[in-house]
Amino acid sequence: MRADEVGDAFGLNPAVGYAALLLVAVTTLLIGIYGLRISRTTGDFYVASRTVRPWWNASAIGGEYLSAASFLGVAGLILISGTDALWFPIGYTAGYLMLLLFVAAPLRRSGAYTIPDFAQARLESLAARRITSLLVIVVGWLYIVPQLHGAALTVSITTGLPAWVGPLAVVVVVCAGVMGGGMRSITFVQAFQYWLKLTALAVPAVFILLRLGVEGLPVTDGGAAFTADLNTTAGASLYSTSSLVIALLFGTLGLPHVLVRFYTNPDGASARRTTLIVLALLSVFYLFPTLFGILGRIYTPDLAVPGAADATVLMLPGRIFDGAAGDALTAFVTAGAFAAFLSTSSGLVVSLAGVVSQEFFSGSVRGFRRAAVLSTLVPLVLALLTDSLALAGSVGSVFAFTASTLCPLLLLGIWWRGLTDAGAVAGMLAGAVLCGGSILTAALLGPEAASLDWLRQPALWTVPAAFLVMIVVSRATRGRRPAGTSRVLARLHTPEAPEHRLAGSRTEPSVD
Amino acid sequence: MTTPEPHRPPPATDPRRPARVRVTAPRTSAKPSSGTYPVTREMAEHSAVGEVVVGSLIRSQLRLALVVAGGFLIILIGIPVLLGLFPSIREVTVFTVPVPWLLLGLGVYPLSIACAALYVRSASRNEKRFQDLIDEG
Repeated sequence: MRADEVGDAFGLNPAVGYAALLLVAVTTLLIGIYGLRISRTTGDFYVASRTVRPWWNASAIGGEYLSAASFLGVAGLILISGTDALWFPIGYTAGYLMLLLFVAAPLRRSGAYTIPDFAQARLESLAARRITSLLVIVVGWLYIVPQLHGAALTVSITTGLPAWVGPLAVVVVVCAGVMGGGMRSITFVQAFQYWLKLTALAVPAVFILLRLGVEGLPVTDGGAAFTADLNTTAGASLYSTSSLVIALLFGTLGLPHVLVRFYTNPDGASARRTTLIVLALLSVFYLFPTLFGILGRIYTPDLAVPGAADATVLMLPGRIFDGAAGDALTAFVTAGAFAAFLSTSSGLVVSLAGVVSQEFFSGSVRGFRRAAVLSTLVPLVLALLTDSLALAGSVGSVFAFTASTLCPLLLLGIWWRGLTDAGAVAGMLAGAVLCGGSILTAALLGPEAASLDWLRQPALWTVPAAFLVMIVVSRATRGRRPAGTSRVLARLHTPEAPEHRLAGSRTEPSVD
Repeated sequence: MTTPEPHRPPPATDPRRPARVRVTAPRTSAKPSSGTYPVTREMAEHSAVGEVVVGSLIRSQLRLALVVAGGFLIILIGIPVLLGLFPSIREVTVFTVPVPWLLLGLGVYPLSIACAALYVRSASRNEKRFQDLIDEG
């Protein structure tokens, strides 16, 4: 079903939709403007001058990370595929565990602004930098597209407007916000949006459970909600589940908009604390989409068709409450959904614009603003030309692509002395071609590829392949190991000095 | 989007606020920023002994990360394997919720938080040990 058709078939009270969308857009812009007033230096603009406290930063990461796929997609997927869908939130959350273990503190200590900066500093190669930039831009664009699809669905369901209005509205608000305040103001916006998204699901969930409890209506229908008979998709094979989990676990640690957040921590230790808090915040959040999905299996089974399932979260409150109460709760979840597209898209646009402007517009603030427009226009066109079937699935493909390209670069760059620029470039290109090629082929084959799990979920073989190529080529080009490798690795892994030590060392004579 | 600078007073007048700066340098030609580093860290980077100590810190951090990641993944993979080996577990329910739903929908989250907390503590301990070693030397 196209977003327009879902909107026609399951339309809600338009006034509610307008109110919710307007509220989120205005609040986002107001916080962005407030942020602009305190965003003073280029450092503020790009990485909030690296002074964001762990709780703020963790909320901001949560706000940025919880996209349309999490807010709408997870519940929709539980509606149609039951327990198999539970692996999505697990992967989305546990990805942060991998990020904490292998990337968080070293990346913060690298002192880079973006992943391409890291690649250049570590490999001392402009070519490696260019390839990394290109991949970051591709990943960012591909990730924004499902957000815009989610916006199309939400806007056409809640307001009855044509599907193209949603993506356009998101793009306009995001551009205005990003161009205005840069990273500093975006941090406030994102932190606010995590809590908005959590409340937007938690409050309706509490009311729904209360009502079901008071009226004695079924919550799980005596366990009937959990039977596999309600699934409308075939059960996932062990291969496709493990491939998905690999993609989500290792894709998270290459996502550009997530990584850029780690540069805003004051030091490596606080980068670790931030990640720990993010894990907790995400764990709490995902309980609610799961709950909505389970309730959806009883109260919105008619949505269990491709394209409509993602509307579960939006439709559920109206199915349980009539009249004003239903409208109010629907407005709540709509606001949360809109916040999800806005925050993820603006996070992506900030990190993309950072990369694009440094690559093509000499890194100025004006260049950053131009780059922001450019970074949103391409995905807008892509989103308007394509149709979404399942949000969680299309985001999963982006994770697989990241896990096969940027993840090996980061992991080997941080932990292995032997990485060379030639190896890194070869590995990233191999991963990009293999993973991108499989996903594209599967998309072109359409329904014929339904049984070809290795094409639709390629991460299980493309991630090891990318690592292997990177290691083999690096070994073959041993002579190209950067001279500064030891120095860079020492910087990545040694702790920053405590404040007093730092202050003392400035007055001592230099040893070299 | 217009730039709002003309509407505000010159920033330099307030000493607590950093002045607005205009940075136009392309990062591609920029050296990796040097930052402020303690003398101990400089020594760790440049001396032969320092290199050995740093090398051992990196190895112990990597070992720790691999152990935690491995443990987590084994438990995670263990869930579907266990359910596959003993299908009767699927029938067990707690308040009408079947065990697979409980494990995957609830149980994994505390597990990942516990792994993360364990790692943060141990990683900081490794770093503290390194710091002490450098301070002695």
